[in-house]
Amino acid sequence: MQSAAIIGVGQSAYVRHPQPGQSVHGFIRDAVVAALKDAQVDARDVQGMAVASFSLAPDTAVDLAWKLGLSLRWLLQDTNGGSSAMNMLGHAVRGVESSTADVILVVGGDATGLAGYGRIASNYNIATRDHLAPLGHGGPNGVYALVASRQMKAYGLEKSDYGHIAIAQRAWAAKNPFAVYRAPLTMEEYLAAPMVADPLSRFDCVPVVAGAQAIVLAHPDRAPRGRASVRVRAHRASFNYDNQEGDGLQTGMSTFASELWQAAGVAPADVDVASIYDDYPTMVLAQLDDLGMIPDHDLARFCRRDIGEKRRAINTWGGMLSAGQPGGPAGGLNGISEAVLQLQHRAGDRQVKDARLAVATGYGMTMYRYGGTAAAAILERAE
Amino acid sequence: MSGIGIWRCAACKIAVFPQRLLCPHCHGDRFEPDRVFEGVVEEVSVIRHMIGQTDWTPRRIANVRTAGGPSITVGLRDESGPGTVIKLFEEEGAPYGRGKT
Repeated sequence: MQSAAIIGVGQSAYVRHPQPGQSVHGFIRDAVVAALKDAQVDARDVQGMAVASFSLAPDTAVDLAWKLGLSLRWLLQDTNGGSSAMNMLGHAVRGVESSTADVILVVGGDATGLAGYGRIASNYNIATRDHLAPLGHGGPNGVYALVASRQMKAYGLEKSDYGHIAIAQRAWAAKNPFAVYRAPLTMEEYLAAPMVADPLSRFDCVPVVAGAQAIVLAHPDRAPRGRASVRVRAHRASFNYDNQEGDGLQTGMSTFASELWQAAGVAPADVDVASIYDDYPTMVLAQLDDLGMIPDHDLARFCRRDIGEKRRAINTWGGMLSAGQPGGPAGGLNGISEAVLQLQHRAGDRQVKDARLAVATGYGMTMYRYGGTAAAAILERAE
Repeated sequence: MSGIGIWRCAACKIAVFPQRLLCPHCHGDRFEPDRVFEGVVEEVSVIRHMIGQTDWTPRRIANVRTAGGPSITVGLRDESGPGTVIKLFEEEGAPYGRGKT
C-alpha cells in the first residue's frame, strides 16, 4: 500500500455578500487553481476529485470535473455538511493509498448569499422542513441556541465563557488576510452584541460567506521540494450516533475519540494545533470535551484559563467565527488547510512554534435537535 | 388540533418523533400513531433574527420533554419558561405549546 499525504492547499477570496455573477463555480475554480499551484501539480495529473457544496446543484461532481477539464478515475460527492471535508479527506487518503488515484483534489465551496442560505436552512431535511421551519426556528441558530442553554446549565457556563472563544479566535484572525472579520474584539463588545437567538448573540453565530477551499493529496514524494508533507496518522468518523435521542452535549466524536488517539499513537496533550469545527462556540467545547482535550470536563475553567489566557492554539486562522463559513463543507476544509499550513511552518504571523502534530475535526448536518455527523483526524508533519 | 402526533413502535412501544422507517431500538418496521398532550419546557430561545429576512417578528421556541415520549421542539405561544408544564397542539401540522390555564 502506498503512502498518502496532503501536499498542497489553496483557497479563493472570501466575500460576505457575493455580487451578481459571482457563482460557487468561480470560487471553486479559484481555490482549485490555488491548491494545484501550491502543490506544484499539473491539472492533467489529477486523477481523483471529491467535492462538497450546498450550492453546486443542479451540477454534480462530474459536471464540475467537466468544467474544470479534469478526466478522472476516482470521483466523490459528499453530503455530510460540516463533516464533509473530514469525510472526503478520509476517502481521499484511502484512494491514494490503494493507488486508485495518484493525485486527488478535495474541494468544497458555497456562494448561497444570505437569502439562499436562509432557504437551505429551512429545507435542510424533511424533519426541518416539516417540523422546525414552520415555527420560525431561525435555522441552525435556533437549534444551537437550545443546545447552548443546555450546555450552560449542565456545565455551569456563563455567557462570557463563550466570549473567550470568540475573542481568542478574532485575535488569530487579525493575522489571517483571508478572514472577513479581523478587527480586535473585546469582552465588552462581545457581551454588548445584539441577541440573535437567546442565548446566542452576534459573535456566537458563524458568519456565512461565499468562498471555496481545496487541498491536494498524493504520495509524499510529490510534495514540493523543501516542503514537508502532512500525513494523516489516524481518521475516524461517526454518523447518526444516537438517533437524536440525547441532549446534543456530546457529538459523534464521543464514540471514537479513544480509538482515534490510540490509532494515532499520541495523546491529546501532544497536540500543538487544533482546528475544531466552530459553527458555534458551544460545539467547539462539546468536540474538545469529546476528544478528551478539556481536563476534568471543566468547560468553564478551560474557557477562562486555557483559551482566555491563550494556553492552547485553537482555530489559529480565526476559525469560521471570524474568518467566515463558506458553507459547511468548505468550512471544514478551512480547518484542515490551516492545520497543514501550521505543520508545514507556513502560517506566517500566526505560526505556532515547531508545530508537528494537529487535530482537525468536522461536525454537522443538523438533523433535528443537533448535528448527526462528526469526524476527526490526527495530522502530523512528515519530514 | 389538540396534542402532537407521534409514532409508537408496534413491537417495543418506544415513541419517536419525527417519523422513522425502522424503530431505532428494536428495528421493528411497524408504527402505530399516537398523540402526546403535555410536556415540560426544558430550554427556551427567542428567535430575534432570521437569516435573509429583514422584516421579522421575534418568536419563541422551546425544547419540550413529553411525558413518556420523545423530546420535541415546539413554537411557544406564551411566556412559559423552563420547568413549566405546557399543553401541546398542532397548527397546520407543526408542533406548538402554551401554558396550561
